[in-house]
Amino acid sequence: MTTRRIIVEPRGLASLGLTLAVPAASVLLALIVGAIFLALTGNSPGEVYVKMVDTAFGSQRGLSETLISATPLILTGVAAAVAFKMLVWNIGAEGQFIMGAVFAAGVGIALGSGTPALIAIPVVILAGAVGGAFWASVSAVPKVYLGVNEIITTLMLNFIALNFMYYLIFGSSSPWRDPEVSQFPSGRPIPDSGRIPEILDSQRLDYGFFIAVAFAILAWFLISKTKWGFEVRVVGDSSDTARYAGIAVPRKFLGVFLMSGAFAGLAGSLYVAGPVGALDPRSLDLGLGFTGIIVAALARLNPVAVVPVGILMGALNNAGPSLQSIRVPAATVEMLQGAILIFAVAGEFFIANRLRRPEKKPQPVAAAEGGEA
Amino acid sequence: MNESTLILTLFAAIGLGTPLVFGTVGEIITERAGNLNLGVQGMMLVGAVAGFWATFNTENLLLGVIVAMLAGAALSVVHAFASVTLRVSQIVSGLALTIFGTGLSSFLGETGSEPLVGEPSKATFEPILEGGLADIPILGPLVFGHDIMVYVSWITVAAASFYVFRTRMGLSLRAVGEDPASAESAGVNVARVRYIHIMIGGAFAGLGGAYYSLALVPTWQNEPIGQAGWICIALVILASWRPSRALFAAYLFGAAERIQFTLQTLGEPWSNVPSNLLAMLPFILAIVAMLALTSGKRARFLGAPAALGLPYFREQR
Repeated sequence: MTTRRIIVEPRGLASLGLTLAVPAASVLLALIVGAIFLALTGNSPGEVYVKMVDTAFGSQRGLSETLISATPLILTGVAAAVAFKMLVWNIGAEGQFIMGAVFAAGVGIALGSGTPALIAIPVVILAGAVGGAFWASVSAVPKVYLGVNEIITTLMLNFIALNFMYYLIFGSSSPWRDPEVSQFPSGRPIPDSGRIPEILDSQRLDYGFFIAVAFAILAWFLISKTKWGFEVRVVGDSSDTARYAGIAVPRKFLGVFLMSGAFAGLAGSLYVAGPVGALDPRSLDLGLGFTGIIVAALARLNPVAVVPVGILMGALNNAGPSLQSIRVPAATVEMLQGAILIFAVAGEFFIANRLRRPEKKPQPVAAAEGGEA
Repeated sequence: MNESTLILTLFAAIGLGTPLVFGTVGEIITERAGNLNLGVQGMMLVGAVAGFWATFNTENLLLGVIVAMLAGAALSVVHAFASVTLRVSQIVSGLALTIFGTGLSSFLGETGSEPLVGEPSKATFEPILEGGLADIPILGPLVFGHDIMVYVSWITVAAASFYVFRTRMGLSLRAVGEDPASAESAGVNVARVRYIHIMIGGAFAGLGGAYYSLALVPTWQNEPIGQAGWICIALVILASWRPSRALFAAYLFGAAERIQFTLQTLGEPWSNVPSNLLAMLPFILAIVAMLALTSGKRARFLGAPAALGLPYFREQR
C-alpha cells in the first residue's frame, strides 16, 4: 500500500442532514461556477441571479409559469429516478415525452369536442403514458431479450421522435396539424373537453401540476411500499442477489423501463393537454428529458424529492428567456443546470464515502483495513 | 443518379464525416481505457465555440484548432475527475458534461457587447489543391480535393490505430480497459492511463467541433454540430472500437446526412420524400446497426473493452 494523504472509506448509511446538504451544496457551487463565467464575460452575476429569482418567484404570474415549467420536469425526473435506481439507463425521456405528447394530442383530437370532459381528460392523459411506454419499449425489448445497450438506442430514439413530430406538423398534412393555419404550420388544438382546466382565471397554471405531484407520490409508493418495488430495489443493488432470491430480473427490468417511459409520456400529455393545448414543436423542443436527469440526480433518485427539485429546475427554465432583457444569454440557465448535475453526481462520492487523514502513527495492518467502527 | 451526383454525394459524405472521424476516434481511445464518456456532444460544442473564437480574434486557423483541442481536453478533465478519482457514475457524469458544455457553448457565443452569434469566421478551411490532381475524373476530387483537416483525419486514424495496437502505451491502454486489476499488478497506473486517454478523447472531440465552426458551418450559430457528438458514441460501437473502421463508419453517416440534399437535386419523385423523415436516417441507421451488431451472442465478438463503464477500486482488488 502506498502512503496517501487522505484515506477514503465507505460510509454506511449517510445521515439525512448529509443527504440534504450535498444537493444544496451542489446548487451553491454551480451558482459560483456560473458567477465566475458570468463575471469573466463582463456580466454582473448578482444582477443575473436577482433577475432570475424575481422572474421565477417575484410575482403571481412568475410563480404560475414556474410551476408550469416544473410540471413536465417532475415527471421526466420521476422517469429518470425510477429507471436509474434499477440501473436502467433510459436516456430517452426526451423522445418518450414527445411520443407521449403525440399520442395524447392524437387521442384528444380523435375524441373531438363531443366527449364529456370527465372521460376525455383521463383518456388523453393516459394516452400519453401509453405513448411514452411504447417508445421506451422500442429500446426496452431489445435490451431485455437481446442485450442491446439501451443508452444508445434510447438516445437515438429521441432524435427520431423529434423529427417525427416535425414531420407531423411541418412536413405533412397529418391530423395533428391545424388545417386552419396555412401560413405558419402549427398543431391542431385539442378540444376544450380534453384540456386540463386552469386553477385561476388570471393565470395559465392548470391542475396538471397537481396531477404530476400525485404521480410522483404514486411512483414513490410503488418503489418504496410494494413487494414489486422491493424486488426492483434488490435488482438495482445487485442483480446476482436478485437472481438467487428467485426474482425474475428481465421482467423487472422490462417493467421498470416501460414505467419510466410511461412517466415521461405523462409529462408529454400533461403538457399538450395543459398549457400548450396542441402538438406544438415550438414549445415542446425544450430538452425537458435531459433536464429530468438533472432533477433525478439532484433528488438522489427519490421520486418525492423530485417535486421540490423539479420546481427549482422549472424556476431556472422559466427565468432563462427573461435574462435576454438584461442582455444576458438564456443559455446561462443550461450552463447552470449542467454545472448543478456535475456537482450533484460528484457529491454522491461524499455521500457514499468518508474522508479522513491517516493517523500519525499508523498500525500497518489496521490502517489498511479501515472502516470497522 | 448520374455520375457527378454520386461523386458530389461521396465528396460531401467525406466532408460531413470528418468531424465524426475525430470525435469517434477520440471516444474509441477513451473507451479503450474502460471509460465511457457521454460528454462528446458537450466537448464538441465547446471545441466549436473555442476554435471559432480563437480564429475570429487571430484569423489563424491553426490556433483555432489548438484552442479547440485544449478546450475539449479541459472539459474532459471534469469527467475524468468525477469518474476516475471520485468513481461516480460515468454515465451521469458524461451526461452532465454534455449539458454543461452545450449551455456553455451557446452562452459564450451569445454573451458580451459584440457576440459571436451570426458572425462569419475570419478564416475557413479550404481545399488545398485547385486543379491539377484534383481534376482527375472521379478519384481526383475524392482523394485530392479536400481541405487539410480531411488529410489530418486520415493521419489521425492511422496514428491512432498504430498507437492502440502497436505501441507499449497502447498495450497499457488496452490492458486497463480489459482488466484494470491485472494491469495494475503489472505496474500500470490505471488512474493515470484513464485520465490521459479521457483527455485525448476530449481533445479530438474539441477538434471535431471546430471542424464544424471553421469549415462546415463557418458562421457562428448555437449548436452548429447538430447531434454529431451523440452519433460519435454510436459510431464507436459500429466501428467495434477500432480506429480504422471509424473512418468508414463516419463516412457512412456522412452520406446518410447528405442524402437529403442529394434527393433534392434528383428531382421528382425523389425530391418528394419528406425532409423530416430523411433527417431520421442517421439515427435509424445507428439503431439498426446496434441491433445487427450487438444482439445476443454477437456482442461478444465485437471487442468491447471488458471493463468499459466500470469504476476501478484499487482497494478492493
